[in-house]
Amino acid sequence: MDFTVFAQQIANGLVNGMAYVLIATGLTLVFGVLRIVNFAHGEFYMLGAYITYFVGTLFGLDYIAAAAISAVVVAGLGVAANKLIFWPLRRDHEFTILLSSLGLALLIANGGELLFGADPKYVESPFADEVLDIGTVTLTQQRVLVFAAAVVALIAVYLFIRYSRFGKMMRATAQNPDGAALTGINIGLVHTYTFALACGLAALSGALVGPTVMIFPTIGNWAVLKGFIVVIMGGLGSVTGALFAGLLLGVIESLGGGYISLGFMEAIGYAMIIAVLLWRPNGLFSTARGLR
Amino acid sequence: MFGRRTLLAAAAALALTLPAFGAQAQQPPVRIALIGPMSGTGAFEGQLGLEGAQAMAAVINAKGGVAGGRKIELLTYDDKGSPEDGVSAAKRAMEQDNVDMIIGGWFSAVALSMKEVTRDKIITVMTSSQHPKVTEEGHKYLFRLNATSAMMSEFYSKAICERIKPKSIAFMNVNDDWGRLELDNYTKLLTGCGIEVKGHEFYNRTDTDFTTALTKLKSLNADAIYVAAINTSQGATIYRQIKQTGYRGKVIASAGNMNPKLVELSGNSLEQVYSASPFTEDGAAPSLKPWLEQYRKDYKNDPSFIAALGAQAVQTLAFGVDAAGGDPRAYDKIAAALKSQAVPTVMGELRFSDKGQASQAIHLVQVQKKQIVSVRD
Amino acid sequence: MNTNSHGQSLGQPLAIAGGVAALAVLPFLAGNAYLEHLLVLWMLYALLALSLNIVIGYLGELTFGHAAFVGVGAYTSAILSTQLGLPPLLGLPLAGLVAAGFGLVIGYAALRVVGPQFAILTLGFGAILFTITNHWVDLTRGPMGITDIPPMAIGPLAFDSARPTYYLVLALVLATAYLCHALVGSRTGRAFLAVRENAPLAASLGINVFHTKLMGFVAATAIAGIGGAIYAHYIRVITPDIMGVHNVAALIIVVIIGGRGTILGPILGALVYIGLLESLRVAGPLRMVIFAALLTGTVVFLPGGLISLWQRWRNAHRSENNLPATPTGLPSTEGGAK
Repeated sequence: MDFTVFAQQIANGLVNGMAYVLIATGLTLVFGVLRIVNFAHGEFYMLGAYITYFVGTLFGLDYIAAAAISAVVVAGLGVAANKLIFWPLRRDHEFTILLSSLGLALLIANGGELLFGADPKYVESPFADEVLDIGTVTLTQQRVLVFAAAVVALIAVYLFIRYSRFGKMMRATAQNPDGAALTGINIGLVHTYTFALACGLAALSGALVGPTVMIFPTIGNWAVLKGFIVVIMGGLGSVTGALFAGLLLGVIESLGGGYISLGFMEAIGYAMIIAVLLWRPNGLFSTARGLR
Repeated sequence: MFGRRTLLAAAAALALTLPAFGAQAQQPPVRIALIGPMSGTGAFEGQLGLEGAQAMAAVINAKGGVAGGRKIELLTYDDKGSPEDGVSAAKRAMEQDNVDMIIGGWFSAVALSMKEVTRDKIITVMTSSQHPKVTEEGHKYLFRLNATSAMMSEFYSKAICERIKPKSIAFMNVNDDWGRLELDNYTKLLTGCGIEVKGHEFYNRTDTDFTTALTKLKSLNADAIYVAAINTSQGATIYRQIKQTGYRGKVIASAGNMNPKLVELSGNSLEQVYSASPFTEDGAAPSLKPWLEQYRKDYKNDPSFIAALGAQAVQTLAFGVDAAGGDPRAYDKIAAALKSQAVPTVMGELRFSDKGQASQAIHLVQVQKKQIVSVRD
Repeated sequence: MNTNSHGQSLGQPLAIAGGVAALAVLPFLAGNAYLEHLLVLWMLYALLALSLNIVIGYLGELTFGHAAFVGVGAYTSAILSTQLGLPPLLGLPLAGLVAAGFGLVIGYAALRVVGPQFAILTLGFGAILFTITNHWVDLTRGPMGITDIPPMAIGPLAFDSARPTYYLVLALVLATAYLCHALVGSRTGRAFLAVRENAPLAASLGINVFHTKLMGFVAATAIAGIGGAIYAHYIRVITPDIMGVHNVAALIIVVIIGGRGTILGPILGALVYIGLLESLRVAGPLRMVIFAALLTGTVVFLPGGLISLWQRWRNAHRSENNLPATPTGLPSTEGGAK
């Protein structure tokens, strides 16, 4: 077996996996804290990529600035979505909220096609084509950036949830929303900030992954699917679970595609999640309630 | 004396003569249905085809329309790239909107089911579909513009063998009938001139990332990689990612898929890459320049092969109507004319076989400094 | 009093008979073949929506895999008739059987979990079926699809145009509607609802939750398979896209907008979907935005779907006339607690 190729496939898998982790973290936060299954999460990823593109081309800003602005704008859009849909429905049945998020997802995806046009676009980034040789492995700077930025973001999120005051509020709400409200925590504010954080993360991953492929309005579909596979595999509400599951999915997809069959690469991810769910229905790092 | 009856009769007589005036002043337009993917995957390509057709219709109408002073009216229908919607659209066009002729068949699956709906009922011009069965099992009013895979590969393989001359080659093909056919054709033709085929990878129409496959291909160490990709966004991603894996060999683009958007999206990764196309902007056809002008005036996109196919379709139908004396419903006359005469189009003169298959001239092209130029010896 | 012992007005069977008669006459009122084609599409979607409704409405679980079962049925019948020369009439029940078989296996694995995990599992299985269909070229011809599928035929009568196909599908829709109606009134149907509303309580009453769900799931997939087969023999070309994300979304939209957990709901939803789809042709991508907005709006403001508007009007009308309000078919038909 050619070790160079093997190492390369693993590296590819880790980078892809880290992108999945970034998408999944926001998703699992929203579920863990608010118990909302948000099918529209992938659309914020798509918006992140597109807004980075537009800010870059219309205002001429450089990539990093555009990405940062995009994250902030999309975080705001997430807050708006919460205000319009999820907060008013918070007392409704889980099923209703799930369906409304599905409707929102379709709305944003098709609205995006209407607004942005069907032609594929490319998010320019100075890191996209520059190649780095790390030992025998070849990666573009952009892919290394995805990995590094994701790691930084995850550490930041982890520290935030663990040590900051607001993080504690989030964890309290995750464990027991009514109890948390009784202690004076403003649940509405928790909703707002959680969505802002989750959608901001989604947008960031869109901005980071964007330059590695072409973007078009249906990429949100792909993102939310990967996100859900990772989240459910890792356990709803578990950030550590998402990290582990995401990297695992990325590597197994890469190796499976590279050594077994390329055509079935997608199916491998699904087969994996089926296997995991049958063995441990609540995910690998299943949590009772609460955020981990 | 001039009672109500008389006035009524006079009014009626006057009303009856009005259409006669109208007929001389304005003939009803020739209504052509353009059925293509306007949403979903392929929406971009569908839009290009529509633009090309509309630009050509504008050019023809500006010159007075077809025989009898009738203008061309294009009605757009969205087939969403699916056979079911294609069938629905064709039925609606024929029975509800009463169109005279149909342009469609951008995707093979749609073409195959649509031809059954139009069988022997209405003149149908299929555009970009390359599936052999479209004309093999066509009907007397069916015509198909795009060259078949076989025709393109015959021409292009010669160029690859004689001009590009790689010692070995590997294929990156899309997993559908066209991609598989390409692999078979070129494997035969290229090994025939001594090029070693080192391997291939198939990718799906819905894939967005190709690094796994390209890593595998790179490890084969072939002199050249041949990319068979129709979808512009997938193609651009593949070309970029080939470079990003650090591959230093030659890249060969498949025939018939080069377009300005692809070049724009691929950055520098298409420089010096060859392809083959029936369409070049510096072609010699007389109708090309006015069409290019109109297209550039009306649309933001750069003119492309797909757009030219749309234009060709309109030109073919206009020629047929002219040859039939101006009646767009004289299907037998139109079909006979198209199968017996050379049709002048933006891509040169077209000749249709008995089965309605067009023979297109094909040119070798290369991307130089982000422009698609034709390569002449 | 014009009611029978169940408190249902005797006018109801009359209304149903009238409705069926009206449906039977529609093709003759249509006027052209294109409208007849739309009628067929309406009935097909109604049939598929009714089957999906068994899972979403009666079992109360969201499934993303339904389009895959439609596809399994379509491909089964298509392969049997094109490669083995089997008469399509036999292909129909076989398609239902094969789809039900897949439903049994997948349901057995997936119904152990609920909610979003179940939804993702069905999505996963559906995606695997799609991938297999797309790649097993020797069997399914992959992305090239199967063409030249022979039309359905019963003896000398060939269903090769819209009108006879309409009657065939109409008959199946009526049969399925009747099946659902009988189901709801039966013990099994009550078991479904008990499981949907409160599974632990249902279990404590002796209902085997798992078997109940599995039965409903298999029934739904069988009907979906039959619907798929009819689609294959009508359109006569199928590609793996039949299992694609568009159809998944479309079926869910139809059931929810129409009204889940009811019988008329899916039929009405299919009518609205096909009707809007055609009348909004001019709007292009705007069309899907409108659908998405309708879906979201329905979920948020009208959880019972469009059919609940009619039910409310009817109940209000009855209270005006001092008639007893007809129970709206099921206790809290709008799926799930509020």
